[in-house]
Amino acid sequence: MSPKVSPKRCLHCASLDDHKCLAEKTVKLSHYKPGQRGKVVQVCGDPDFRLRLMEMGFVRGTEIEVVKYAPLNDPMEFVVKGYHISLRKKQAAHILMNEPELAA
Amino acid sequence: MEQKITVALAGNPNAGKTTIFNALTGARQHVGNWPGVTVEKKEGTVKYNSRDIHIVDLPGTYSLTAFSLEEIIARNFIVDSAPDLVVNVVDASNLERNLYLSVQLMEMGCKLVLALNMIDVARGRGITIDEPLFTNLMGVPVILMNGKKGIGLDDLIKAIISEVDKPRPSDDQNRLTYGSEVEEELCKIDCILSQSFRSPGVANSRWLSVKLLEGDTEIIKKIDSLEQRAKIIEQVDKSRAHLNNIFGDSPEIVLADARYGFISGAIKQTVQIERTNRVNLSESIDKILTNRLLGPLILLLVLYSVYIFTFNGSAPLVQYFDSFFSWSGDMISSILPEGLLKSLVVSGIIKGVGGVLGFTPLIAFMFFAIAILEDTGYMARIAFMLDRVLRGFGLHGASMLALMVAGGIAGGCAVPGIMATRTMKEPKERLVTILVAPLMNCGAKLPVYALLIGAFFPGNRAAIMFLLTLISWIMVLLAGRVIRSTVLSGPSAPFVLELPPYRVPTFQGLFIHTWERTWMYLKKAGTVILAVSIIIWALMTFPGLSPERKAFFEEKQDKLSSSFLKDPAVSLILKNQQDLKSFEDSQSVEGKDTQQIDTPLALRYAQYKEDKLRLENEEKSEKLRGTIAGRVGAGLVWVFKPIGFDWKTNVALLGGFAAKEVVVSTLGTAYSMGSVEREQYPTLSEQLKHQPGWNPLMAFTLIMFVMLYAPCVVTLVVIKRETGKWRWMLFAMVYTTVLAYVVAFIVKTTGTLLGIGLT
Repeated sequence: MSPKVSPKRCLHCASLDDHKCLAEKTVKLSHYKPGQRGKVVQVCGDPDFRLRLMEMGFVRGTEIEVVKYAPLNDPMEFVVKGYHISLRKKQAAHILMNEPELAA
Repeated sequence: MEQKITVALAGNPNAGKTTIFNALTGARQHVGNWPGVTVEKKEGTVKYNSRDIHIVDLPGTYSLTAFSLEEIIARNFIVDSAPDLVVNVVDASNLERNLYLSVQLMEMGCKLVLALNMIDVARGRGITIDEPLFTNLMGVPVILMNGKKGIGLDDLIKAIISEVDKPRPSDDQNRLTYGSEVEEELCKIDCILSQSFRSPGVANSRWLSVKLLEGDTEIIKKIDSLEQRAKIIEQVDKSRAHLNNIFGDSPEIVLADARYGFISGAIKQTVQIERTNRVNLSESIDKILTNRLLGPLILLLVLYSVYIFTFNGSAPLVQYFDSFFSWSGDMISSILPEGLLKSLVVSGIIKGVGGVLGFTPLIAFMFFAIAILEDTGYMARIAFMLDRVLRGFGLHGASMLALMVAGGIAGGCAVPGIMATRTMKEPKERLVTILVAPLMNCGAKLPVYALLIGAFFPGNRAAIMFLLTLISWIMVLLAGRVIRSTVLSGPSAPFVLELPPYRVPTFQGLFIHTWERTWMYLKKAGTVILAVSIIIWALMTFPGLSPERKAFFEEKQDKLSSSFLKDPAVSLILKNQQDLKSFEDSQSVEGKDTQQIDTPLALRYAQYKEDKLRLENEEKSEKLRGTIAGRVGAGLVWVFKPIGFDWKTNVALLGGFAAKEVVVSTLGTAYSMGSVEREQYPTLSEQLKHQPGWNPLMAFTLIMFVMLYAPCVVTLVVIKRETGKWRWMLFAMVYTTVLAYVVAFIVKTTGTLLGIGLT
């Protein structure tokens, strides 16, 4: 199977070609509120970090739901591919999402 | 067919790999470390139909990309040691992410069996797997299991044996292909590789090509020796650039995407999830345990309970060990004649062994508590809740537990604290935690504090203790911050923390965990600590008194006893030295002293005993002054003068290197202040108060120094063991002592300038 070719790339990603930035058309995952969910559009950040997140399941099109914020508002907890994972807000800001909707 | 089979057990963290390993091997397992690193390596054997199956438990990893030490270890084992088969333990209730590792394992071309563990949990969540179709898609045997109940174990072993006996799969059985563009480039690299790479081992050339295309630095190192290296690298660079152009993203990302694409496809075809409206128990528990208000409160309670459990729970055992060692010390004392051998056996060996074993119940209890936290899944929540607080100081949410055990509540111990960092996966944060943990107020520092506070701040015990706890926390956090931004600078590991569902731990798992970690401590640290205790004993014993001085003290002792015997009240009952000796022996039996307190003999005897004790201590003090440690202490006077320590304090601090509580007894000996048994601290305090140069400021300076200076030998040995490097042990020794000196100097100077605590 062949991965889909997507022409639009994020400017924040050093490893990517210089295309139109998606940041304006997307919502950072760190801006999601508990109970909201949406789909991954793009993962930015340094190459190692991107790959790590992709391996943990944050691949394009994956649905992510925000469960909650830690008692001190950072880090955040998500459900990805049916399991729970926590990231710091700063890291979650590298994950660009589509408009959130309320989880059922 | 009788040869030994080697099987590697791979799987994600929290997939129940350890449960299956324990169920397979039972008690026939062995723990060690992977060569050169401090990651635990577990091995065990199963016998089945006269076949020996040797099972190696690989570290739990999410992938085999070489991000972490664990991933490199797991990958290198599969490549270099070429196990006959890999069993991939997969959490059936979390199939999609778990299969990422499986796909990577398939790609490596080794024989593989998928153990779909926790099938019961998956079914409970309404997940049904079309097993035949799934097996067909994956192309490897799939066994449905429930490791906790031992369901599927037999099937697993049978599958292992039948797979091992089959011929190796050929390369073209690969299920996963990456689309024509990628495949074309892979083929180009593969072509050059297979020309120069003849060994058809597990590391097949396709896998190598994939890794090279992904730009894996570890693998690039591996082809260093190949003749065609330059040609290969050239092709890899060309291919990477080409794919980057087509996909607008680097090949490793494209491949990761494609792997998940393959997995999603397979899951869509074979897995059905029935949406159940049942409440997820784990999530409901988590709502309370990580609640904004209740969460931190429960966390404090849990940490406090771990602390209480570790220290109070083990107290009876520790006491039992203690009294056993003091009993055997006394026993041997009474058997062996006075002299060097006795001193070596009693003060060197028995104290040393006692030191090692004395810690063991503590460590076992702590590991048991930690095993509960880990196996239930609460450990991840501790890191989740505390990360915000600790990361600013170069630490990690998971550092909290180690710091608490090390003495975050006064009275802990750095040794189990440092061992507790084994649960941390982030190398830098773990190292910082190890390095700062000894600054906490451990239980051995408390007698020193008690002595000095009792003498100089009798009215403010509680307040001073609270202040000291506060100061040690501030020091730990500041030191963490400074170390992290200087010696250990660099970006922190990304905080990618799985929050596994809450689970009920199995007793077998808890006990095996506790036992193997405790055993590691005994085996690895124990021997070294014993050797070091003997060295310290030698330093504080040799070269001893010169014959002239010895004779001088003997003569003085004779004079003392003969003048006592001449006393009219005494000479009636005790005629000669022989009588005196037997009288002394009878008096030393417990409880007799008080009965005859008012007879004239008893009064005279009390006086005599005190004089004798003073003389003995004078001798001990002089003896100590003459030893190597005493000379070093005296030699260091010019160094410690600015903070007001004399040679006696210096020797005591040197002694404290063996164990901090030794500071008290050595101070006692050095100041020849009479018996320094624990129950007589008040006397020692009282006497210390009247020594010239001692005042509250001096006492506080010494307290600060003792709090911060070089960790005790046991701690240092454990630091060496856990970091694997001598230089970190040395660093821990030097930086703490410098910090102690600087802080003591500031306290001393400020106090003197402001005129605080001088009287």
